[in-house]
Amino acid sequence: MKKVSFILNGKSTSLETDPDKPLLWVLREEIGLTGTKYGCGMAICGCCTVHLEGDAIRSCVTPVSRVEGKRVTTIEGLSADLSHPVQRAWMEIQVPQCGYCQPGQMMSAACLLAQNPKPTDSDITDAMSGNLCRCGTYQRVRRAIHRAAEIGAEKGARG
Amino acid sequence: MSSQNVSRRFFLSTSIATGGGLLIGYSLSSSGLLGEVVRASRGSKPTADSQIPLNAWIRISPNDEVTLISSQSEMGQGIMTTLPAVLAEELGADWTRVKVEFSTVAPAYRNPRINWQFTGNSESTTGFFELMRTMGASAREMLLTAAANRWRVKAEECYAENGRIFHKLTGRTLKFGEIAEDAAKVSPPQNPKLKPQSEWKLLGRSLPRVELASKLNGTAIFGLDFVLPGMVYAAAMQSPIHGGSLSSFERESAMNLPGVIDVVPISNGLAVVASQYWQARQALKSLKVSFDGGPNSTVSTDGLMKQYRDALEGNSWKTVRTAGDALGEKEIAAKHDFFSQEYESQFMAHATMEPMNCTAYVTNDSCTIWGPLQGPELAKLTLAGMLKLPPEKISVNRTLLGGGFGRRLLVDFVVQAALVSKAVGKPVKVVWSREEDMQHDVYRPATLNHITAGLDKSGKPLAIAHKVVSPSILQFVYPPAVTEENDPSCLEGLMETHYEIPSQRVDFKLLKVGVPTSVLRTTGYGPNIFAVESFIDELAFKVKQDPYDFRRRLLKDERSLKVLETLVEKSEWRKPLPKGVARGMAYTEAFRTHTAHVVELSVKDNLIQIHRIVCVIDCGVALDPDITKNSIEGGAVWGLGVAFKSNISFKDGRTVESNFHNYQIAQMDETPPIEVHIVNSSTKGLGGTGEVGPVTLVPAVANAIFAATGKRYRSLPLSRHGLKLT
Repeated sequence: MKKVSFILNGKSTSLETDPDKPLLWVLREEIGLTGTKYGCGMAICGCCTVHLEGDAIRSCVTPVSRVEGKRVTTIEGLSADLSHPVQRAWMEIQVPQCGYCQPGQMMSAACLLAQNPKPTDSDITDAMSGNLCRCGTYQRVRRAIHRAAEIGAEKGARG
Repeated sequence: MSSQNVSRRFFLSTSIATGGGLLIGYSLSSSGLLGEVVRASRGSKPTADSQIPLNAWIRISPNDEVTLISSQSEMGQGIMTTLPAVLAEELGADWTRVKVEFSTVAPAYRNPRINWQFTGNSESTTGFFELMRTMGASAREMLLTAAANRWRVKAEECYAENGRIFHKLTGRTLKFGEIAEDAAKVSPPQNPKLKPQSEWKLLGRSLPRVELASKLNGTAIFGLDFVLPGMVYAAAMQSPIHGGSLSSFERESAMNLPGVIDVVPISNGLAVVASQYWQARQALKSLKVSFDGGPNSTVSTDGLMKQYRDALEGNSWKTVRTAGDALGEKEIAAKHDFFSQEYESQFMAHATMEPMNCTAYVTNDSCTIWGPLQGPELAKLTLAGMLKLPPEKISVNRTLLGGGFGRRLLVDFVVQAALVSKAVGKPVKVVWSREEDMQHDVYRPATLNHITAGLDKSGKPLAIAHKVVSPSILQFVYPPAVTEENDPSCLEGLMETHYEIPSQRVDFKLLKVGVPTSVLRTTGYGPNIFAVESFIDELAFKVKQDPYDFRRRLLKDERSLKVLETLVEKSEWRKPLPKGVARGMAYTEAFRTHTAHVVELSVKDNLIQIHRIVCVIDCGVALDPDITKNSIEGGAVWGLGVAFKSNISFKDGRTVESNFHNYQIAQMDETPPIEVHIVNSSTKGLGGTGEVGPVTLVPAVANAIFAATGKRYRSLPLSRHGLKLT
């Protein structure tokens, strides 16, 4: 057991835990944020995607010790009131079916847009092909990312 | 899950609800084994005192909030939006003041067709549409009567809209909440008047899913997310060899590890229980355990396929369909210019993104479960039997499902959770790792189809004969439909073709295999329509006809023709394509929906690039067109996985594939633009849209590859032929 401290969704967080424990399970069962999902445990499916210092990472293979002193954002931190452009676009286009993979899809999309505010189709394909969706919502995910880029641009233009 | 002889009779009845109001529900005549076994309590109990039940489906609170009950489980198909919208439409509710809750397990909530509560077979809409309309209309008339009585006017002078009752002549209004208590005392009408389709305000248009917001900010509760105070976690391991049993384990090796509470042997394996799942999972990994493989220790894919081959070449057939002369293969060959081919579909896993899990709390005299379930009634029945408790002591609660596809009709994971909770005396959540989930799935069986057709001189088929070899699909989820020799689900798509061919015959061999098999999205339609629609395409080529023209000449059914004609128009079937690009099509009716696909692709070496997918469906009326489209789009993506990648194999009695690296599904980079066009015909012919999406996509891919290359692939997935999506 070891003390681990990091900034979670903008708030300082500390806990005593097994430093080798994946961030995914620390978030889910020690902090109680269950929006980040377990899908494969091998960084293949992308359901567990969160942001570490703004980069999309797979929390199922990230030992919690790796986030010591760093900023972590989960789906709950994207915005609770659904105001983030990615959430707004996902709402407008009604992307989800079962919804289980969508937190991971949205976190990957939010990271892409933060780094590339106007992604092309091929940028989207490159960024999103590691996020599996068993319901097959990829076409809507793609549309929603383009739409989120527009919403982001409108927001930016309004300042 | 085809219908067998099940009663459709049901009648309205009334009974006093515990909440004080009148409760109406359909009292269903029991039929079939399951109906006789299950005797659950009738009706629902209101969960909050302030909610006034008008019937088993509708409660209204004094502040005008309307709670609508969903008997059906939500797994992405949008049913917790669509069916409540049917209730709200008839009720005249304000959709923005509607809340949806999942029902308990009770006869009122059974699918009237088979008198059984489940979510599957793409029949939630078809099964419940009339019932929901009737329940909504009945409650509306109760509200109208109560309002009319208060105003001392005639009920016919009043109408309901947007959560209010209006009196036409005086313009007086009452909010639903103001009149609900009176309405609950009104006798439910026997034959409430249903709204004509022309007056629909909610149905036929796209509504935001009721649970959508929760799926966008991490607050949606799937089975894995559900937490109880004092709950502990279990990581499960079952015999890696299918049908094997636990032989020994070293309990002490796990007990010293952090958080571990107990190691519980369960029927075919064990579970490590700990304060946290991660601890349970780590302890399970280091636990020394051995299994007795049992009779299936040598089962392999090669051995299984030899079993199929022997069955196909053997003589042990059950003739399940005859029409006209019902000529068999040899008779066709003797009489006509004939053509024969064989098609093979693979074993597949459900691979729901949310692995199997369930939370249970078993005490001496009760059992409560919370989980992602498609089969809540089967869960209740099974738990009552297993725990030797009366059914009313079993409480079944549902969370959202992170995918279902038929896997969650089974209750193996539910039983585990209950057994482990009973052993440790605490609420327990059992969680399967992805590996456990994939290696202990109950698989879509492989299917071998052999088809023979006899043609006249003009190239028109006069006779068709099918031989089908498949293990059971319904054995675990609907045993009353399965006999020693027959399983109707294995024959779906062959028993009711729209192609007008005078002589038809279907022979079936139900195979017994050493691996577990069950329902998976598309059930028998998937493999059978891959075979039939590939074969039809082969016939068209043989007689040198365009695949569309060939099909069209065999079809008379109006809906079939409309769907195909729309497909030809929307896909620009007649328009020449650039060199190297080709199209393939397929059509069928499955799950009561007419569906057809055109796939446009090009092939370079062994790389296949799909440029465009066009789908046309007629599901009667799309009650929510956007939800319908989403499902059909996703179905095409599912179909790409089936066609190219997904494959379960067996070796030494075990499932070889263990995670998404070796059991692959389609990814975004492999997904082309998908267009979905909906033909609305009539509410009399409502069809399902949850499973139909992949059915014609798969043969359309094979047919397009043939059109592009002249090579015909008759076994799936195409990766076995070295083909890859790009």
